Amino acid sequence: MTEIKKHLFDYLLLVTAGIFFLVALNIFKGERFLEFIFLTSFAIFYIIWGVYHHVIEDSLHLKIVIEYILIAFTLVFLMKIIIFPN
Amino acid sequence: MQRLKKFFFHFFIPHEENNFKARSLHPDFLGFYLILALVLTFSFKQMGLNNVLGFATDITTSKLYELTNGERHKNNLSTLTYNDKLAKAAEEKANDMFIYNYWAHYSPSGKTPWDFMITSGYAYEFAGENLAKNFLFSQGVVDAWMKSQSHRENILKKEYKEVGFAVVNGVINGEETTLVVQMFGTPSTSLATLSPPVIAAQEPAPTIGEEQAVLAKQSANKKISLPTLSFNVNIVFLSFLLAALALDFYFANKFNIIRVGGKNLAHFVFIFFMFLGLLIFSRGAIL
Repeated sequence: MTEIKKHLFDYLLLVTAGIFFLVALNIFKGERFLEFIFLTSFAIFYIIWGVYHHVIEDSLHLKIVIEYILIAFTLVFLMKIIIFPN
Repeated sequence: MQRLKKFFFHFFIPHEENNFKARSLHPDFLGFYLILALVLTFSFKQMGLNNVLGFATDITTSKLYELTNGERHKNNLSTLTYNDKLAKAAEEKANDMFIYNYWAHYSPSGKTPWDFMITSGYAYEFAGENLAKNFLFSQGVVDAWMKSQSHRENILKKEYKEVGFAVVNGVINGEETTLVVQMFGTPSTSLATLSPPVIAAQEPAPTIGEEQAVLAKQSANKKISLPTLSFNVNIVFLSFLLAALALDFYFANKFNIIRVGGKNLAHFVFIFFMFLGLLIFSRGAIL
């Protein structure tokens, strides 16, 4: 909880982006190409957020950037199976 | 048992031996997950292209028929009879949308849903149409229709006696699309008595009393469902990651571990939103 209190703005930013992501998906339900754009945008935002957060915290390390990239793209590829199955 | 316990401990609980971070969240393992996701993406694509598994959705006319009548039963309405002419009209309508690249009740050339019914030889007194696209499951389609007032009214209209469905895959605006067309009708009494028995060109035509058997046959021929499999793979993988992150976060806090690494809480939030996104991806659009 101290982590949230310490970086309230950062986490609010991430949650807001997540809510925008869900709202956009909900508005454009069934539009597969747009859904993929929103998915990729949210994943890229997440990586940028990670870099920004660790720069602010003065704890940026290549290993950390790779961690964010790996998680983000693993999920993008998994979701792609649902969005573009063929 | 002891080995399993040790493996679990090493895999999920941060401690000295795993450099104070759950092994399942180490960069090499995250890299492995990415490779696994890539392999799955291409395998599923290949299976879909080779038609090893079913196509892009798990929607079947039999399930749609069952669910539609289920909703009518809940509202004390009569069961709709499956009508092949309506199903043919629905299929023609779906094909027309693919050929002329549109997603609407009325075609750009002004063709109405009722034109397809008439062409298929269905003389109606009352008629209606519901459309859906890019859903993953039959339940999702009917749920979405029931949440929309106009579609709900169609499903629960007491005047309707018959129904026909088509689930057709194709390309609209360059996008792989699965269309569901549901057509309702009440046969025109005078013409219905004069109409000849239905004889389909490609397969034996069911009479009205045989529709359950025909629908059961369609279900029996169904292949292993690709969307169900891929959806479940996603659910399992996301749940696994969320659980690993939650355990690592909990024990790292409990033991006051300070380490170099990404923020578990941020990963958790991101994966949680992806999880919700996955549920939305399984739903499509209705019209």
